[in-house]
Amino acid sequence: MIKEFFEASTALNNKYVTQWKKNGKKVVGYTCSYVPDEVFHAAGILPFRIRGFGATDTTIGDTYFGPFICSLPKCMLQLAGEGKFNFLDGAIITPGCDSMRRLDECWRKAGSDVEGVIPSFFFHYGVPHKYADYTIKWLTDETWRLIAAVEKHFKVKITDVDLKKSIKLYNYSRKLLDRFEALRTLDAPPFSGEEALAVILAGTTMPREEYNVLLEQFIAKAEKSPGIKGRVRLMLVGSANDDVGLVRVMEGEKAIVVADNLCFGSRFYSDQVDEEGDPVFELSRRYLGHNDCPRMYGDYRRRLKILAQKVEKAKIDGVIMQNIRFCDLHGSENGLFERDLEAKGIPCMRLEREYGPLVETGRMKMRVDAFIERIKQRRAIA
Amino acid sequence: MFAAGCDVGSLTSKAVIMKDGKIIESVIIKSKTRPWESADEVMGIALSRAGLTMKDIKSCVGTGYGRDKISFIDEAISEIACHGKGARWLVPSVKTVIDIGGQDCKALRLDDKGNMMKFITNDKCASGTGRFLEVMAKVLNLNLDEMGEMSARSKKPITFASACTVWAQADVIQHLNDKVPIEDIAAGVNNAMASRMATLANNIGLEKDVCMTGGVAKNDGVVNALEKHLGIRIKRIRREDPQIAGAIGAALFAMEKAKGGVL
Amino acid sequence: MRNETREYKFDWMLWNTFAAASRLKNGTQKEYQAMLKYIPYFKRIMETLLGTGEPGQKFIEICSKYLENLVFAKEKGKKTAITTFCFSPAIFYAMDIIPICLEVLTVMMTFMYKRGTAEFLDYCNEVGSTETSCSSQRGAIGAYLAGIGADIDMFVTDTPGVCDTNANAFSFASAYLNKPFFQLDMPPDLTGERSNEYHREDFKALICFLEGQTGKRLDPERLKENLRELAKQDEIIAELEDLARIVPSPVPVLYNLMVSASKFLFAGMPEGTSLLESMLRIARENAAKNISGLSGGVEKLRAFFCYIDHYAQNMQFWQMLDGNGICYQGNILSHFWSNNAPHVAYYHKEEVAYTIDMTDIDSLIDSLAMINSRMPMIKSIRGPYDAPNMWLEDTLGLAKLYSADLIVYNGTPGCRNTWGMVKLLARDTEKAGYPTYIMYADAFDVRVQSWEATEERFMEFLKVRRLV
Repeated sequence: MIKEFFEASTALNNKYVTQWKKNGKKVVGYTCSYVPDEVFHAAGILPFRIRGFGATDTTIGDTYFGPFICSLPKCMLQLAGEGKFNFLDGAIITPGCDSMRRLDECWRKAGSDVEGVIPSFFFHYGVPHKYADYTIKWLTDETWRLIAAVEKHFKVKITDVDLKKSIKLYNYSRKLLDRFEALRTLDAPPFSGEEALAVILAGTTMPREEYNVLLEQFIAKAEKSPGIKGRVRLMLVGSANDDVGLVRVMEGEKAIVVADNLCFGSRFYSDQVDEEGDPVFELSRRYLGHNDCPRMYGDYRRRLKILAQKVEKAKIDGVIMQNIRFCDLHGSENGLFERDLEAKGIPCMRLEREYGPLVETGRMKMRVDAFIERIKQRRAIA
Repeated sequence: MFAAGCDVGSLTSKAVIMKDGKIIESVIIKSKTRPWESADEVMGIALSRAGLTMKDIKSCVGTGYGRDKISFIDEAISEIACHGKGARWLVPSVKTVIDIGGQDCKALRLDDKGNMMKFITNDKCASGTGRFLEVMAKVLNLNLDEMGEMSARSKKPITFASACTVWAQADVIQHLNDKVPIEDIAAGVNNAMASRMATLANNIGLEKDVCMTGGVAKNDGVVNALEKHLGIRIKRIRREDPQIAGAIGAALFAMEKAKGGVL
Repeated sequence: MRNETREYKFDWMLWNTFAAASRLKNGTQKEYQAMLKYIPYFKRIMETLLGTGEPGQKFIEICSKYLENLVFAKEKGKKTAITTFCFSPAIFYAMDIIPICLEVLTVMMTFMYKRGTAEFLDYCNEVGSTETSCSSQRGAIGAYLAGIGADIDMFVTDTPGVCDTNANAFSFASAYLNKPFFQLDMPPDLTGERSNEYHREDFKALICFLEGQTGKRLDPERLKENLRELAKQDEIIAELEDLARIVPSPVPVLYNLMVSASKFLFAGMPEGTSLLESMLRIARENAAKNISGLSGGVEKLRAFFCYIDHYAQNMQFWQMLDGNGICYQGNILSHFWSNNAPHVAYYHKEEVAYTIDMTDIDSLIDSLAMINSRMPMIKSIRGPYDAPNMWLEDTLGLAKLYSADLIVYNGTPGCRNTWGMVKLLARDTEKAGYPTYIMYADAFDVRVQSWEATEERFMEFLKVRRLV
């Protein structure tokens, strides 16, 4: 079954998407975890997380983006320019960060240069950078604007009843994934970090109903598993990662990633949407309020607290803090996390990397190995 | 009891053989294309000089970028740990180790017992590595040792306008065209190198005693410049060639393993 | 950081330097010449500034005053707020808070120090910031993080939604020093009722925050006083901008910097007005005689910089332009969006500009929110570059108004925002008929690309495109 997850997470136009489209239904891509999936689900549209995984170079990305830009949106644009996202009927861009925000105009320009590489529905969804009553109001209005645009373009009607149904379904996913997360905190976690990532990634590529079924089966099996013992327990923090290979390099034979605060990680499922109250408002409240992303400026202390709690809960031996080169938001916040977690006696290691084809694994492995050796030495004394 | 350490790097490969905790043989060679070929050759030379064969070695640890590919080792350990171990053996009072190798540089802090506390490595840039010095030495038509000597004579080191190895090359050529004394350029190169390294080292904080390992530790020009930038004295390694610190550390780990310790 | 650097508070050093510089011309010409011998590293910059006459003198004086305010803030019992250039300090002055503008301090040091702010830039990296973060904040914030500057009470920025690396620098520094932080968040749209309401609510929240930090209520009368002065400043700037449309432009090359400085340092304060008035006098005189503001007297080219200047030591950037007969028609920092600005009247819509309405406290707050949301960069780099009222429209409108012969982009490698689409902008401006040059330099750090290489490439572009 883990194979199902791996396949869904590594193949772009996977079998779920192909079947969906064969049935004459629509798929809308989105670039950021702040976009409420439920809106599309309620419209009978498959929400699909746009990623850059699979890009083998960035010649197209580099044509539109300038040089000092993180490779994540470049890889996304690369795939788009190669026609690999042609199965999308729509795309939502958000100001997740400046580099990702500019994917909007870069993709549009690529779309005017090369026919067919930009979907007919293209929407800029403005997400605030802080959590306050008037910013929730802004996002609520923005979500209404999105709903109106989806209804108009796709000739559908999204009712409150539809939204509430979708919210309930996604909340159920989140409950399942909470159980999934709890399993990772066990002394002998039933699955590796690499497998955990595959499970989460798969959820961003397939219809939620089918995903929930697979998830239930996976969790039931995992609960009976003897688990993986004797490894150094790591938490992975920082920039977005959608490559199971990266986690594999970090885990190697000696470690296991049992917690994270990543975009393709706990940010995907933490916190429920309130099922009472106006659905659009509650969606905005949850999506804006829960995300552990450094784009929410000035909120460092809260994020540090959450990390410290996770360290305790999952009995973490060490934290690997990675950032994609040019990702100043994660890169700098990792610097603060390192300072404050080390002060609490928690070993940390910062690592800067490229997003894209998994190269320089030797360099990475060397550092991770040294980090694991450091942790083991520390344990031997304790 | 014989134990051995083998450090396969991008520019050079090193082997150290220890008997009962004392170094009996050490070899440095230029690395070959394949790490296993380098390992075989350097260890082969060391064994031959010591009059031993691999069978005589009770335990062998490999380190460096090519460590996983070495056939005759019992365990592979990161060069960060090995440099720390080796540095502590060479300078028992050391707490901070700065290593500038061929293609990367690192700084690490050791606790009282010689265990790693914190480390940092440079990321993705040739500036601040042995490669930078090599490139500059080539442009100046000097070998690396000469560059160190020359720079000591400088009265007015130039300040490099660029941090980048590629751009700095262009700057050096410009200075040569402008007939700037070579010693001033050489001193400027060392300063640029030291400045880059200092930022890295300051990131993990410095605690005395500080020492340098790796090939560049033999370059007085860089070491002096680094001392100035850090504002702290760097204890010179006199006991052995600092370039074999990693291999020494590997051999020490091998010794512990042979005695039944868990690595 | 070298030990010598740590011995003095860096802003105190800067203040002393500017204070001394402001007295250089108090003596005779002979005394002035004699003094220059004692400042071999500052000589050229002094000559460049004082060569502009009274405006240069006033510029040095207001820099000195600004630094004096921040150095002695604590002694005078005032709160200090670290802020950014695109945050109008009007509200701070109205609430008796001393603004400390990071980028301005970085610019001062980059002009004046042989190694610029290299040590402070590197220090930021040592304490955990990424080295790819923008050098404009890092140059000054490094000193504050190292504890060798004035005491800081709070961090206030308005760049979320506009510039991540800026907002992030503030977020990082405030978390590092454990100080209160406030952000004005910018939505992707500039105009429209939703955006207006958002700006308004946000600004009210800012005022609550500032009142909480100072323990004092916002005094509407103080605010009115400040805004009246600001309105005066906008009138002067509007006239200067109008004069710059004349061919040859009677406005000297350095004036753009001084216009920016007067607004960034002393918006709504008489110090800023005094500098602007001085510039206007000379520009009017030149216009009356129909002479060029360039020191050589011959205007060969008119350049519009769509982003920022280059702050290489000794203001070599301005000297290059002036020396080559290139009239500098300003950049994104030196053009403001008051409703009486000529570019608003001619090429842009009324709603993109701000108006000052002093009817009641609500309209005052609205005006402030509008002023802030129309500050350079805050206005135009928030939404997609080709959206209405955004960067492309602004650039083309300004280039047209000032009859630019070419458009130049210069920024820093830290600018994720513009590097994300500057190639697209250049495509469009070239299509519109403006030769467009993208510089790969760092305006605040010559270690990225030396000034000599930067200048050489710029001149090469002019030759290749047959502009000279």
